[in-house]
Amino acid sequence: MAINRWIQSGNYRRSYKEDQTIFATFSEQASLIVFLIFLALVPHMPFMNRQLFRVVDLAFIYTIAVMGLNIVTGYAGQINIGQAAFMGVGAYAAVTITRDIATPLFQFGKTLPFWYIIILLPLSGLVAALVGAFVGLPSYRLKHLYLAIATLAFQIIFTWGVGHSPFLNQGGSIRIARLDFFGTVIKGSKTIGPFFYYFALIVLIIMAIAMRNILRSKYGRALIAVRDNDRAADAMGINPGLTKVYAFAISGFFAGVAGAIFALYNGSVIVESFSLSTSIDFLAMAIVGGLGTMVGSLIGPSFMLFLDPFVEKFSGFAQTIFPSTIDVATAMRPTIFGLIIVLFLIYEPRGLANWWRLLRQYFWRWPFKY
Amino acid sequence: MSEKKSQLVIDNVILSFGGLNALTNVSIGIESGAITSIIGPNGAGKTSLLNCISGFYKATSGSIKFEGIELVGKSPYQISKLGIARAFQNIELFSGLSVLDNLMLARHTHLKYSFFESLFFYGKCQNQEIINREYVEGIIDFMELEEYRKAVVGELSYGIRKRVEMARALTLDPKLLLLDEPMAGMNLGEKEDIVRFILDIKAERDIAVVLIEHDLGVVMDISDYVYVLDFGMKIASGIPDVVAKDPAVITAYVGGESLI
Ligand SMILES: Nc1ncnc2c1ncn2[C@@H]1O[C@H](COP(=O)(O)OP(=O)(O)OP(=O)(O)O)[C@@H](O)[C@H]1O
Ligand SMILES: [Mg+2]
Repeated sequence: MAINRWIQSGNYRRSYKEDQTIFATFSEQASLIVFLIFLALVPHMPFMNRQLFRVVDLAFIYTIAVMGLNIVTGYAGQINIGQAAFMGVGAYAAVTITRDIATPLFQFGKTLPFWYIIILLPLSGLVAALVGAFVGLPSYRLKHLYLAIATLAFQIIFTWGVGHSPFLNQGGSIRIARLDFFGTVIKGSKTIGPFFYYFALIVLIIMAIAMRNILRSKYGRALIAVRDNDRAADAMGINPGLTKVYAFAISGFFAGVAGAIFALYNGSVIVESFSLSTSIDFLAMAIVGGLGTMVGSLIGPSFMLFLDPFVEKFSGFAQTIFPSTIDVATAMRPTIFGLIIVLFLIYEPRGLANWWRLLRQYFWRWPFKY
Repeated sequence: MSEKKSQLVIDNVILSFGGLNALTNVSIGIESGAITSIIGPNGAGKTSLLNCISGFYKATSGSIKFEGIELVGKSPYQISKLGIARAFQNIELFSGLSVLDNLMLARHTHLKYSFFESLFFYGKCQNQEIINREYVEGIIDFMELEEYRKAVVGELSYGIRKRVEMARALTLDPKLLLLDEPMAGMNLGEKEDIVRFILDIKAERDIAVVLIEHDLGVVMDISDYVYVLDFGMKIASGIPDVVAKDPAVITAYVGGESLI
């Protein structure tokens, strides 16, 4: 039995409790632990430089936002073209709460204590969740494309609104103080890179566990029910409108937390970070990763962010072929990303998560073919 | 049958779609613990009536009271919470989910934990999940769906999906179960199973059943009371033996001959 548990190929769970477990076998648990240890060691690797830290840190932060997007779009089936704006709400909430409330109240100096950050993240998340619920309200009446347009409208109103608020420096840079992590000020790329690597990773893991728990509870099932068949969900005693609204709220919370970390990471916010094209990038990450799968939201953002430099290089190369009067380079990135979204939607709507699933299946069943 | 004892009282309901009446002055009483059938030719308004009861359509006028509570104007999810469950004529399952998940969804309002508790899962949330899973397993046994437990609903045969649909309605633990042609398109063996389930539901679980069915043999066999609709109007009602001999019913159905 001891050995069998490592390689068991079928499902031999004997109680309903065992049936709720997430990772079926010991070997799955073991590989997860090995992977986490690997992640913990990465910052100490010799190849880690400033640029790589930037890519990985951003990947972690974006992953949190994309997990939220996956809840509302992947699980609840409501297209959201404004996730970057929700992230922006979180970022601006973090900055303004710190500037206008916390700093006068707690007499913060040049740095922010770590305990304050622990409070600031969920607070920024809550603000974005409330905005999310508000933007999701039309889902009581609107469906599919109409709702997508409502979220698009929010994205545009956000950019316009921030750009016209003197309170938010017309969208120009607003600074937020650096962190004081128990005596160490997180300042300069040498400390910012590794610190936010661990910080974002830990927040990411906590959020992933929360997401996993929501999804296996009645609240998660209700999201899927509303997506699959909202008439039937209604007949099951599930309020479809309310369910969609709270999907938007959860999604907003994730985006808000991501936004707050993003603001702290950069030490400032500008409105350009939360543009429509970032929202579309998020959608691309969710789609390429795999809508409606937990694994998808974890691998999609990293995949796309690591692809980005190659696309950039290719754009530069393409520019050398065309005459300089045609600006191919700037058009290349959205074109390629758009193409990737379309190709995935057509050929692999289940995203990279499906490749991952097939690979895992193949691996666990080896040497048997099926 | 005295209307005072009725669990569900439908009083003078009119349902019109842009001037066209799908239901005209329909008054019906459903007694608790009984099997009440609603029959009538295609397009008679049977499904429309169920839609009015379960809140998918809003009656243009009239009242529908369940245990004294007015249903007209309420949403389907509110009516479901009052204890009225429904199996749809055109299967409305969550086709991407397993049979188990479909049934667990019917436990939504019975799972007593908050969103905040679900974030941590272990503890109250997990206990509730287990208790309700046990309930679902009870229904799976009852409806003899053991072998399909983990199967994705969309991949099951029509007959089994119909049965899952009925099982899911039953999993809501309702006081009143509305079944819209639960054995349509089934072979004789499958039909006999469904009939047996309906009789068991009445006998063992004390749930009132409203049955819409075209197979008059079955209807006359198992019903305690029968209503007949034609062109949106109630044309007859009574115990099966009486309804079967009613001239109006015979004309509506076959234009003269006896029904059974
Ligand atoms: N949403 C709707 N809009 C317009 N007309 C409708 C609508 N729903 C039902 N009807 C009409 O109401 C009438 C009754 O339909 P209903 O589906 O209730 O009949 P039924 O008795 O269930 O028939 P069947 O035995 O074929 O299921 C039909 O003429 C139908 O076209
Ligand atoms: Mg019908």
